[in-house]
Amino acid sequence: MSASDFFVRFWGVRGSIPTPGPRTRRYGGNTSCVEVRAGKTLLVFDAGTGLRELGVHLARNTDAPITVHLFLSHPHWDHIQGFPFFGPAYQSSTTINVYGPKGDDKHYQLLSGQMSNAYFPVRFSDLGARILARSFKGDSVDAGDATVHLFNQQHPGGSLGFRVVYGKKSVVFSTDNELDQLLADKQRAIEKPDELRKLPKELLEPVRNADLLIADAQYTDDDYSTKVGWGHPRAHTVVDLAGQAGVKRLALTHHDPMHSDREIDVKVSEAELRARRLGFEDLEIFGAREGVTLRI
Amino acid sequence: MPRRSPGSTQDFEDVHTRVAMRVRGLRPRPERPHLLEVVDGPGKGTRFRLEAAMYELGRGANVSLQLDSEEVSRLHARLTRADGEYTIEDAESRNGVVLNGIRVHAAVLRDGDEVQLGDVVLKYLEGT
Repeated sequence: MSASDFFVRFWGVRGSIPTPGPRTRRYGGNTSCVEVRAGKTLLVFDAGTGLRELGVHLARNTDAPITVHLFLSHPHWDHIQGFPFFGPAYQSSTTINVYGPKGDDKHYQLLSGQMSNAYFPVRFSDLGARILARSFKGDSVDAGDATVHLFNQQHPGGSLGFRVVYGKKSVVFSTDNELDQLLADKQRAIEKPDELRKLPKELLEPVRNADLLIADAQYTDDDYSTKVGWGHPRAHTVVDLAGQAGVKRLALTHHDPMHSDREIDVKVSEAELRARRLGFEDLEIFGAREGVTLRI
Repeated sequence: MPRRSPGSTQDFEDVHTRVAMRVRGLRPRPERPHLLEVVDGPGKGTRFRLEAAMYELGRGANVSLQLDSEEVSRLHARLTRADGEYTIEDAESRNGVVLNGIRVHAAVLRDGDEVQLGDVVLKYLEGT
């Protein structure tokens, strides 16, 4: 059997704001950005500050013209701020397809809007690359050799999750999604936090049997009590989602800016214990970390 | 290149830097090499000092970091340096590269990481 040519690399795994420094060196301090390679197709999910590092990597390692299929979960700062520093955007040989829901180019407009000269010295219109607004056809779109499906998520202002299908494999990118607001019984999850948190079918379907789920897991149960409505879930609720949906591997991401490497280790360790205790024996859980590449 | 006039900002900064270096002892620090140490499995206790831009790891005769185990492929992984950091990448090995318990295709290494190749566990220790 030949090896898969479906890869995922993490370039930014931090939520809210970049957090450089010794406390975050191992997992990384750049905000949301994930590279997916499906054969020769390059897909990028979110344009947080990790995108700058991806641009440097591409410039060093790619001679041919670059085509990027860019998907944004939503246009909050930590998901778009790397774009003005994305080196390939300054090259005339580059093409960047920016995808949004059908009939809605809001993401393209806001991506370009952050480059008005009050915020940044180079205007969007002065970038050398061909930057094109693309639309989903209904809830899916073909992007090179892959097909991407989108689904709506729970976040202030809204956010999108994406499921990438390549051959028989699938990867789901789901960040900024406050699952806890959508639990079948929210109160019970507070009163009996160790019990399985049941999630409605419409939340399970988009991630069902995914080979890899990259999911926002910003808060511990303790953190969440003061952050209800901020748009991010409890890590334990994400474990329950992945387990109930038959996900194979779960990468916890969008790490809280207050969490050190050690605190993320603890969060991941507790998530693993929960999975075992609830009987999700086959679910592999780890913390997303900058610079790590997985073969799907 | 145009000549700078005496007393330009650049001159001032140069003088300032020299003074700072003399007074505070500021010097570029010598680099200490990164290390890989076998902490479990065959060859336990072996230390590899990392100074080259690229290494090949495996049990084959021609690799640069040889690991003496049947669980390790002849060419198991490559280690490459960029910007002072080493990245380990699976070279289509039979048993894969496992980073801190998770199978990965590649990873930029960080101080204290444990990398398992077959039954050989290597600990990565960062220099400066």
